[in-house]
Amino acid sequence: MSEQTEFEPKLVGFLCRWCSYAGADLAGTSRKKYPANIRIVKIPCSGRIDPLFVLKALRLGFDGVLVSGCHPGDCHYITGNYRARRRLALTKKFLEYMGVDPRRIQASWVSASEAGKFTDVVTAVTNEVREAGPNRLFTEEKEKRATATA
Amino acid sequence: MFKKIGHSEIAKLLSEWSKESTVLVPTRADGVTTWAKWDGRDVSFLDWYRNTVVPPKSFLLPMLEEMFRFQKGKDGYSLELPPSDGRKQVIFGIRPCDARALAIIDLVFREGYEDLYYVNRRNNTTLVGLACTSPYDSCFCTSLGSGPGDARGVDLMLTTAGDQLLIEEVTDKGKELTAGASGLGKAAEADLISAREAVELASRKVTRQVDLKDTDKALLANFEKAEFWEDIAAKCVSCGICTFLCPTCYCFDINDEMDRQGGARVKSWDSCQFALYTRMPMENPRVEKWRRVRQKVSHKFLFYPLSYETTGCVGCGRCIRRCPVNWDITQVLNSLTAKVA
Amino acid sequence: MPQLQHEARALLEQGKVDYILGFEPGTLKFSTTPLITKNKEDCARLVVNPFIANNLSVYLPKLKGRLGIVVKGCDSRSVVSLIQDNKVARDRVVIIGVPCAGIIDLDKIEQLVSRERDEIDDIVRQGDRVAITLGNGKKEFPLVSVLADNCLACETPIPKECDILLDPTDTLVTDPSAGQQRIQEVESKSVEERWAFWEKQFERCIRCYACRSVCPVCFCERCFAEETEPQWVSPAPHWQDNMSFQIIRSLHVAGRCTDCGNCERACPVNIPLRSLSKKMVDLVDELFDYKAGTDKSALPLMASYEADEAEGVFR
Repeated sequence: MSEQTEFEPKLVGFLCRWCSYAGADLAGTSRKKYPANIRIVKIPCSGRIDPLFVLKALRLGFDGVLVSGCHPGDCHYITGNYRARRRLALTKKFLEYMGVDPRRIQASWVSASEAGKFTDVVTAVTNEVREAGPNRLFTEEKEKRATATA
Repeated sequence: MFKKIGHSEIAKLLSEWSKESTVLVPTRADGVTTWAKWDGRDVSFLDWYRNTVVPPKSFLLPMLEEMFRFQKGKDGYSLELPPSDGRKQVIFGIRPCDARALAIIDLVFREGYEDLYYVNRRNNTTLVGLACTSPYDSCFCTSLGSGPGDARGVDLMLTTAGDQLLIEEVTDKGKELTAGASGLGKAAEADLISAREAVELASRKVTRQVDLKDTDKALLANFEKAEFWEDIAAKCVSCGICTFLCPTCYCFDINDEMDRQGGARVKSWDSCQFALYTRMPMENPRVEKWRRVRQKVSHKFLFYPLSYETTGCVGCGRCIRRCPVNWDITQVLNSLTAKVA
Repeated sequence: MPQLQHEARALLEQGKVDYILGFEPGTLKFSTTPLITKNKEDCARLVVNPFIANNLSVYLPKLKGRLGIVVKGCDSRSVVSLIQDNKVARDRVVIIGVPCAGIIDLDKIEQLVSRERDEIDDIVRQGDRVAITLGNGKKEFPLVSVLADNCLACETPIPKECDILLDPTDTLVTDPSAGQQRIQEVESKSVEERWAFWEKQFERCIRCYACRSVCPVCFCERCFAEETEPQWVSPAPHWQDNMSFQIIRSLHVAGRCTDCGNCERACPVNIPLRSLSKKMVDLVDELFDYKAGTDKSALPLMASYEADEAEGVFR
């Protein structure tokens, strides 16, 4: 019971260096507050995202994954974010079919000037993943039972 | 020594053995015939069981095995061996081919070089054979000097004799199991005759034949002929089914699975049919598919006979039965000898 | 059948192809096996029957020369998909199309008659029924109860992209709802139950990679599963790695998989892989209105995009 209130999710955020990473930077320099639950990985373009990154993050025990890139039409490489969208849409829907709570896989468009949107997204995503609870997808059955009774 | 037991007494016998050992029996789960710890009740497999998909070698050379754990400390790494599982196991219903296969693996991991993981398990394992009554159309054990009632390789051999099972005590280990066991009767001459007839009937059902008289010569003569092997290998898709399901194949891979503080060194099955086989320590000398297929055939029918005076194949037929493209070793062997003749 | 043998022989004789890829009777009951030959005399062994399950396009990327290939509807789409991916050039293949009347699933027959395939004497298809002979007895079943699930769901039994189309032997009897049944069963579970279901399935995976080996669109020279830097999945068969492998494989073949069903057919431990591949086919269609291997001039699914699609996924 206490677990629900104490649980702080760990998130990994894959941010495109041109837009979302700069957006996060701006949030920082503007001293905007957002949950410290997210660990940020800079990627050259949201189009760099591979379903493997998402799955590996879940396998390593992250409770949620956020991928963020430039708004449609604004990609530094013209089409990278459209490709990311195809890949991510499939990944999210397919993993939901496999049994992964869709709240764990999140995506957003955040431009370099949208520090406010970035903090909103991270806050919302953190809250949703907190609701989804700890990720025990890849833990062994006996460990799952142990943590459930602990 | 021969004894006998009624079908209705088998459950009691398995219960007795279960006290001392883990008793493994054939079972069907998710549409796959496999081995499982005996549930204490069900012996219906005696009526339907032919052979399992994954051979019982998996209880001696597990598909996945932790060799040791390592931990990073102040003074470097510390190693910890897995808790030794001294528990005895009884593989009940192992087929003669699979038991012979373990004797072949012994040549590699027990005699000469001793693999402690294997040897410990092997010493703790008792094999209770069950003679075949309905071999598959892919079985060809009779071509390899064996057959549905072959007791070499098992500790106890059970053969159908009318509505009973004849028990042959093959080894001392086997005798330990029957000593003091309840429900066993003395076998009469008639039971022996009846069992022999059952085995002969089953032997006649093994219709697939290979002529191995000149196979080693043919393999040597054609060893360097790339085109010849390319033809043979043409339809192979290089999956690992034939080797993983082979009761004598033992190749393995070793990996360190680590987190920040330490990890485990694990051993798992590997296959010479994979293009990346042995790529980790060096290179795979058999990059082309035909070389890998040649290796599979030659290892079992040329290198084994040269090193150990036995083939590395027992004729269980799994590689034929399960091959997704029906690559058939017996067809290949027969075409080889035909070529030499 | 003589028609196929005749056509294949003519292709070799006229030098239009270097190899013929077809099916010949296998060495097990009710089996067929790929026949890959340069020899025109071998063409006499070519067959078309309800057991030609393999997808021969798996051999295309690695074979050299001009290739005459026998394909069913699903296989022909795999060939098209390989053309889209530049794995084989259209002018290098002569496609011999079999108007497919469905592949008989021997697992289903085994279950229906409680006998294994080698204990069955005969299986004869008669229109929309199938007659199974066991000893002296004969049993009849509706064809829909023995056809492979992917055939029941088939939309393209007749190869569209082909150079020679053989005469039809029978018509395919489909039942899309039966082909969809297993996917709906998974979907009826909660997310937690789904994961538990798949965990149980992948516990028995032995990592023989037969699913990958028989798959024509798993053509990577080096699979991500064997990458070591970084190591995405362990080569050891932990269920977690088995499952990760299959999830990523499914995503990699998205837009290429034609639901030919060979991954599931090859699996020695009966993992319901088609429940993954078919779902992926459906998702691709639903999200991007894309059907694999239907247009050889189209870009591969993941190499293209529309400006307005899947918009709900990104915030």
